[in-house]
Parts: sequence; structure tokens; C-alpha cells
Amino acid sequence: MSMSIATQATLKVGKVAGLSRSVRSSKAKRAVKCAAAAETTTKKAPGPLQRGGTLEGEKAAGKDAGVAAKTGALFANGTQEWSDPRWVNGTWDLNQFKLPNGETDWNAVIDAEVVHRKALEDCPAVYDEDGLFDTSIVPWWVWVKRFHLPEAEKINGRAAMVGYAFAYLIDAAGGAGLVDLHQSFLGKTAIFLTVAFCLTVRRLEDLDTLNVLADEATFYDKQWNATWEGKERPSDSQ
Amino acid sequence: MASASMTMAAAPAARTTSLRNSKFHGAKVAPMRAVKAAAVDTGIKAAGKSLDGRKLRVAVIGGGPAGACAAETLAKGGCETFLIERKMDNCKPCGGAIPLCMVGEFDLPEEIIDRKVTKMKMISPSNRAVDVGQTLNDKEYIGMCRREVMDDFLRKRAKSLGTNLVNGLFMKLDDPGQGNGPITIHYNDYEADAKVGEPKTMEVDVVIGADGANSRVAKNIDAGEYDYAIAFQERIKIPDEKMDYYKDLAEMYVGDDVSPDFYGWVFPKYDHVAVGTGTVVNKTAIKQYQAAMRKRAEEKCAGGKIIRVEAHPIPEHPRPRRVQGRVTLVGDAAGYVTKCSGEGIYFAAKSGRMAAEAVVERSQNGTKEVDESDLRVYLDKWDRKYWATYKVLDILQKVFYRSNPAREAFVEMCADEYVQKMTFDSYLYKTVVPGNPLDDAKLLGNTIASIVRANALRAAGKAQVNM
Repeated sequence: MSMSIATQATLKVGKVAGLSRSVRSSKAKRAVKCAAAAETTTKKAPGPLQRGGTLEGEKAAGKDAGVAAKTGALFANGTQEWSDPRWVNGTWDLNQFKLPNGETDWNAVIDAEVVHRKALEDCPAVYDEDGLFDTSIVPWWVWVKRFHLPEAEKINGRAAMVGYAFAYLIDAAGGAGLVDLHQSFLGKTAIFLTVAFCLTVRRLEDLDTLNVLADEATFYDKQWNATWEGKERPSDSQ
Repeated sequence: MASASMTMAAAPAARTTSLRNSKFHGAKVAPMRAVKAAAVDTGIKAAGKSLDGRKLRVAVIGGGPAGACAAETLAKGGCETFLIERKMDNCKPCGGAIPLCMVGEFDLPEEIIDRKVTKMKMISPSNRAVDVGQTLNDKEYIGMCRREVMDDFLRKRAKSLGTNLVNGLFMKLDDPGQGNGPITIHYNDYEADAKVGEPKTMEVDVVIGADGANSRVAKNIDAGEYDYAIAFQERIKIPDEKMDYYKDLAEMYVGDDVSPDFYGWVFPKYDHVAVGTGTVVNKTAIKQYQAAMRKRAEEKCAGGKIIRVEAHPIPEHPRPRRVQGRVTLVGDAAGYVTKCSGEGIYFAAKSGRMAAEAVVERSQNGTKEVDESDLRVYLDKWDRKYWATYKVLDILQKVFYRSNPAREAFVEMCADEYVQKMTFDSYLYKTVVPGNPLDDAKLLGNTIASIVRANALRAAGKAQVNM
């Protein structure tokens, strides 16, 4: 019995690897085994690999195996061994990252880890020891200085330009000047809303992202409630 | 009540004429009905009519954990139960991990647990390895068992409690509708001839579909489709000294190379390991993912021999319709598998038990008919009890299985003891335990920080390449 399961499974495996239409014969074999005489539909049902959530092309972006994995080129370069003289015992040896004045050069640590991860994405390495590097050992101010500040500068710049444009337009429309704007309640509310908007929607792409997130957040709930459509839950009616 | 006392008082005087007798008879019946109506309002509604003398007949299709636990509860509750299973020695391809609460709740003997896993290793895309499990106490473990052993035990127990075990393959069911007669089940009986089944029919009042991810009952009642993952695993017999490493350790590998939306695993079985992976969105590439998984675990499984290759679908969410008339679904057939971890055995068994409990209660121990509203009581109870668990795991999957930086952050977070404790508590005991709010706030801050850092590292890499 176990042999037949293995055979069935290998048939499935064969289907995955080849994806050829000779799949039909293995499907027929399985159908006979289950004595499924009842099904007489002539329309070919989508196979298990086509049904249920398989994404293709653009929709699979970010959820895909990556080009290297799909083309089978993942291990074309053989197994790479990660080696860097500063990588000792599964983590970066901070002693080798010292600046002339004795402090640790955190930027160099970040650079090294960036290169490390990029190399792994292209070709996963095989290690003989566990990795131990935790990104939280790099202090928070290094991250802020290197990654947050340039982004913050860009967004502040955009917010300033938008603010200037609106202040000019409101003044030109006969409304209050900049100082009077801050003194009226309506003006204060408008400024607050604008700042909040700029923080949440920092780029136009963020609007789409927020939309997608909102859909995603409720999709699972919808799937769970599908069986209750049109019917009331007993606990609701009590 | 007033009319009853009047009747009793007037009874001696009413003996003379038959007309008056009949009037009193009518009057006597009315207060009885009034009493009965009062009982229905306060207690359990027996929506159906009484079955004259016979027991409620329930067919459970599928003899896995869901079916066997349903049959057991039904038989104990006084229903005439038929458990239809196609293959009594079936080894369903499965991870085989059961939480601690299942051993207690379902009275499983220690013998069916092959191995008690007390340590887990999570390995990130950049090979950062985190040991999880230091917060477990001596009595806590994840049980690894053989599905054929556990399923057989549960079925035999159901049989010993009065279930009629039928070795047959379910073909289809005919439901003429509530009040129009019983449901007819068509099946092929393998009792006499194991090769070619003998077509037979059986008449029942309720059907519980527990026949797994490719449920035929679900197709019959038009329950709708669901997204599912393909889980693929190879069982590998590795040398003893390498097996020793996995004595009580299970590994979980995350990464784009191993799976775009799931994880790869190395689970120790009784004398070999199961190495596998799964995916929802890119099933056609499953072999590449498996190759990547084998590569990652290469050192640890070197010198091993593949003894079996197997694959099986895992549902991602419940079917659109889990009940139709007098037929309901439980377990994998209903789609009760959690996201993120892909756990299904406990929920299958529990849903089977809950459905059976609802049937037993609403039929008043098998003496009354049940209809769809009674089966919906089980669905509602299930949704209310486990919705939080499923939703939390869904959120975790959406946040942490998005991309490689998210997975790196996931593994980083698992190094935190508070996270380990919360995770294991909720997995082993199936309750979403609210922790200390301050710790939760700190955890949220750390999670965001981890994700931000991991994303920054990846973005930095891209920027450098562009320039």
C-alpha cells in the first residue's frame, strides 16, 4: 500500500516537474484506483496545480520563487560558502570594524551585512554553523542617521513646498495671511489634517498600499463569514 | 394552568356525554401543549419532530481524526453512527505534530506519540538560527505521531463505543429535503472484496463530511472552493548520529528560496526525518522549493536515503458554505487549517467533536430530528471559540511571510523570550492569552523596529546596485 502511495506521489511530482499533458494518463490511473464511476463531466477540471490561489506573472511578484529558483539556476554556481575574514563564528566580529579613534564603525558593519544578504539572495549558501548576527546590536541612532534622515529630509521638503503653495493660494484668494491662518480654529484644524496626511501618505504609491492593506485586513474575515451570508448567527439573535 | 384545574374539577361531572368528554379531552390536550411550548422557549429547541422509537442515524464520511472524534461523541450521545472510511490503514501525508492540549482533551495514550519535540530552530533567509523552546517546562512538548497509528486508535475507540465502522468509499448522497425523507448515501463497500467495491446504499438523517481536503461530500453539497497550499515532503532516513541531532528538535526554514508564502521544515519522525516545504501562490515551482530546502538542510541530512515522497493539499481558509440542509463539514473538508503554521489535526478533531456535540444536544440524545439551524449552532460555536486564534495567525502570516526582510524580522523576534512564551502558550493550549500590556507594547515596538531594519538593509543593497 505504501508503494502505491509513493507511486501516486511520484506521479504528482512528475506532473510538477514536467507540467506536460501526459499528466492526463496519470490522472486517469488515479481515477480508476478510486473507482470514481460517478463523475461523467467531459469538461476538463483544472488540475490541483492550477486551482486555488496560484498566481502568475506580475501578480506573483514578491510572492514568487525568484528568477534563480524558477529557472533551476539556483545552484548553477554550485554551493557557495560564505566567507569574509570579518565573519567569525556565525556573526560579525566587531573588533575588526574599529575606526582609528577606537569606536566601532557601524556603517561598515551595515555595509558588510548588506553585501552578505544580497549575496545570499542570489545564491543561498550552506553553512556549517548557525548564524547569530542580530541587527539590533547596531545602535538606533546609526539606523536613523543613515536611513531615516535622508527620507525625512525628502518628505519635509515636499511638505514645505505644499504648505507654501497653499499659504500663497489662500492669501491670494482674499483669505488670511500666514499669521492669521494660525490664529483661526479652522486654520489650525486644516494645518493639523495636512500634517497628518503628509505623514501617512508620504508618496502617491502609499495610497494604493493603504488600499491594498485595508482589503487584505478584512479578506480573511469575509472568507470566514461566507457561510453566514443571508443567515443570522444564533448568538446574534439571542 | 387554570384550564387544567378546571378540567380536573369538572371531570367527574363530564362522564355522562361523549361530546363533553371530547371537549374535556380537547381541553386537557391544550394545557399539555402549553406546558410543552414553555419548555421549548426556555431550553434547547427540538426543531425536528420526534423519531418514533428509533435512534437518529448519522453518517460520518471519512475516518480521520475529525471523523473518528465525531463518531465517538455521537455514539456516546446515543445516535446510531456509521463511520465510512475507504482505507483503514491509510498513512495520510502529514507533519504529524499535535499540541499538548490534544493529548489531554482527547485522552490520547502516550504510546501513540513517537517523539516529544521540546526544541525548535527557526532559520532565517540569511541563516540566522534562533533556538525556540527555552520557556517550555518539563511537561510541555509538541507530540510527533504517525498518522496511521493515531487514526487507527481513534477509529477503534469510536468502534468500541458503538460506532458502526464501514469500510467503504463514499460516492454521492441524495438529500430529498427536510421533511421529505432520509438522506440516501451511495457508497462502495469493500468489506467483502477489497479490490472492487460493491455498490450499496444507506439511509441516514444527518451527514457529517470529514473526508479531508479533497472532500467529496463538499462537492456534493456545493460547498464551494477554497485556496489551498501544496505541501510536499520527502521522508529521509539519515544516519544515527545525524538523527541524534533531531532527537527532540524540529526545524523551520523561512526564505524566498524555500517558499514564497509558507515555510520549509525538518520534522523528526520515529526513525527518520521528513523534509518538506509548501506554497500557495506558486505551486508549479514546488520542486525547486524542495530542492532549495534540501540544499539548506544538506549538511544535517547528508548520507540520507529517501524512503518516501508525498504531497497533499492544505486548505487556506474555510469553504464558502460549511453546511447545507442536514449535511455539514468538519476538519480539513471545512477548511479549518490555520495560516502561518498550517496546523490542522487538533482543529479537525475538535470540530468533529463540536459538530457531534451539537447534533447530540439538539436531537436530545438522538431522539429527535435535526435540521440546518441545529447544525449552524455548531458553526457559530466554532467561529466564536476559534476566530481569534485564526485571525491572529492570519495577521502573523501577512506581516511576516511577505518578503525576506519580513522573515528576517520574524526570526529576530523569535529570539525574544516573551515572544517564545506567548507563542508556545497559544499553540500548546489553544487560547489567545493576553499578556502584560507593557510587554505587548514593547513587543510591538521591537517588531516594527526589526522590520524597519531588515527592510533598510535590503533597500540599501538595491540602492548600491543601482548606482
